[in-house]
Amino acid sequence: MNACYSYKSFALLAVIVSLIAFSDQVPAGDELNCVMCHKHRGLSRIDENGEFRLFYINQELFDSGPHRRNKCKDCHTDIDRIPHKPAKKVDCAQQCHIVEPSGQKKFTHKPIADTLARSAHGKLDADGKPKPYQDDFPECKDCHDQPFYRPISVYKGKVKSGVSERAVTRCKACHTSGDFAEDFYEHVTSRLRKTRFPLETIEVCAKCHQDPDFRERHELDDVVTTYKQTFHGKLIALGSEKTPDCLDCHVVAGENTHLIESQTVPSSAVYKDNVPTTCRTEDCHTKAGANLAGFQTHVTYDRKKYPLQFYMLMGFKALMALVLYFFLTLIFLELLRRLFPNFTFIKEKSVDSSPQQKKS
Amino acid sequence: MKFLKRLVFKLYVLFLMGFTVWYGMFMYPLIFGFEGKEEAAESLRELSHSKSADEEMFDRLIEEQSRTSRTDLGFKVIEQPYIEGRFHHIGFSVQKDQASICVRCHGNVPHNKSKELRSFMNMHAFYLACETCHMPAEKGEPGYEYRWYDKDTGKLVPNPRVLHDIEDSYRSAVRSYPTYGNYGAKIAPGIEENGKFRWLHGKKDMAFVERYISEQERLDQEQKSQMKRVIHRGVSKEPVACKRCHNEEGQFLPFARLGYPPRRTDELTNSSVVGMIQKYKEFYIPSFLTPGIEDDDEDKEEQEQQAEE
Repeated sequence: MNACYSYKSFALLAVIVSLIAFSDQVPAGDELNCVMCHKHRGLSRIDENGEFRLFYINQELFDSGPHRRNKCKDCHTDIDRIPHKPAKKVDCAQQCHIVEPSGQKKFTHKPIADTLARSAHGKLDADGKPKPYQDDFPECKDCHDQPFYRPISVYKGKVKSGVSERAVTRCKACHTSGDFAEDFYEHVTSRLRKTRFPLETIEVCAKCHQDPDFRERHELDDVVTTYKQTFHGKLIALGSEKTPDCLDCHVVAGENTHLIESQTVPSSAVYKDNVPTTCRTEDCHTKAGANLAGFQTHVTYDRKKYPLQFYMLMGFKALMALVLYFFLTLIFLELLRRLFPNFTFIKEKSVDSSPQQKKS
Repeated sequence: MKFLKRLVFKLYVLFLMGFTVWYGMFMYPLIFGFEGKEEAAESLRELSHSKSADEEMFDRLIEEQSRTSRTDLGFKVIEQPYIEGRFHHIGFSVQKDQASICVRCHGNVPHNKSKELRSFMNMHAFYLACETCHMPAEKGEPGYEYRWYDKDTGKLVPNPRVLHDIEDSYRSAVRSYPTYGNYGAKIAPGIEENGKFRWLHGKKDMAFVERYISEQERLDQEQKSQMKRVIHRGVSKEPVACKRCHNEEGQFLPFARLGYPPRRTDELTNSSVVGMIQKYKEFYIPSFLTPGIEDDDEDKEEQEQQAEE
């Protein structure tokens, strides 16, 4: 037993010595030196279900987002040895070591998880009963990968993406310790705009909402395809960041983005009576009339569900086809005549003209 | 001249007629496109329903091969390989080994048996050729020479520059992020004869393997076994153990000659890496770093088993 303890003590000493020896390579959040192995791009395996599991951590990208202040063990709490067994699923709602500065409490994503539970994406219905198809309802990782900072720089009224070294230098006049100034700057300025590019937000929603099986199970319209056909969708496809994506219209202005409610819920941003208010936010159509989005925004042409829209579409298509193909046929025949000017199916008998007519 | 003029005119008219027909066809899907899309989606859905879970996974893997994710941060765009359900970012694609005869069948992530070691061994497979560990020189025979080969072409290349970037990162005051394990090259054994170096497995072996793969369906089981025997000739039953390289004295691989700078060599052969390998099973993170966490169930089982014995 004593030998075992001394062995473990030696192991402890070895850890500390090696951490000190290589302290310049170990990031602040990696006091256990997890990157000693996880910095290798090839650390991977194929699991029992044939899935490729990659355990590589790109340190540069890890350091590019708010999680850089977290220790690995803050999220992977079950890792208690090196080398370790397969890690358990991370619970984003657990507390981590970071102290949330406004309340001096340990940070947790639990309030976000609670908000999500109240939304249309929550797993329980209003009566607290599990909704059908539980696996379809998203968890944090279904929509989020590791977040990045998207800082902005403002100088003499000019706004651009990236960190303003001028501003950071000003912060550092007082906040000299470590990377506090950089962290704070990037965190706050990233929050001044959306932390995701709109096209990426749409792709996240599309993962489920464009899946035909998913839509069939939940009796949902193909809202992603119809959104992409709108003016907003086309502008975003062209790279606009000023155009509303899914979250801009489906979350009440100022509300947590995780609180997306069904259009049947009266407090929803897309509830029939609330749509004009949603369009009229200060950043969008401020002077919009009540009917700006009074139409069926995500119209799908389902004969059974929306017969009126379906037959209207058919009518317009028929009209368009009729006009287009009528004139195309006309042009084709006209060109045919140019090709064969004297061609006719019915040959007329030639009538000799009178000498008088010839004279005239 | 008049005939030529008429001919040109007729050709022009013919072109316009062709254009009219093409335009009619071009407009058709634009006018009736919605129905087409729905039908196509429906048929795809029916097709997917008829597939087993394994087949669906295969389709997904094929799709993921070329799938990338794009993250626009405003000041830079990050393009990286897409892996379903992955939280941490990868950042770059790894160069695949096109030159190894082993990878041709066993893939780039070949190790799977040892639960504890498989990921580590796969990690090494990104910069060590299979032959390096699985085909050591027989006892009593002269040892092999180890060099780097290009993963694309299989040709001998100089020691990777990245190894020096790693070394520089230790000294740099500014935090830098060198790449570990993606050198575009692998270490493989070869033989030096009359001043000329040749790989243990060369182009002829690759041609042999390619021929086996393309014609294996025509072979019966016995013939397949024969061919496999030939291909695997020289593979040792006992691969080179980790500690043969990760030890302080007399490493199996000549790190310095392979371009590993002193500090990196020291890191691989001393302290942390060696410590982890030596104390493989007993190496726990001290409990004062993990208050309240007990040993996992498997340890309890082990203890129970020991108690029973």
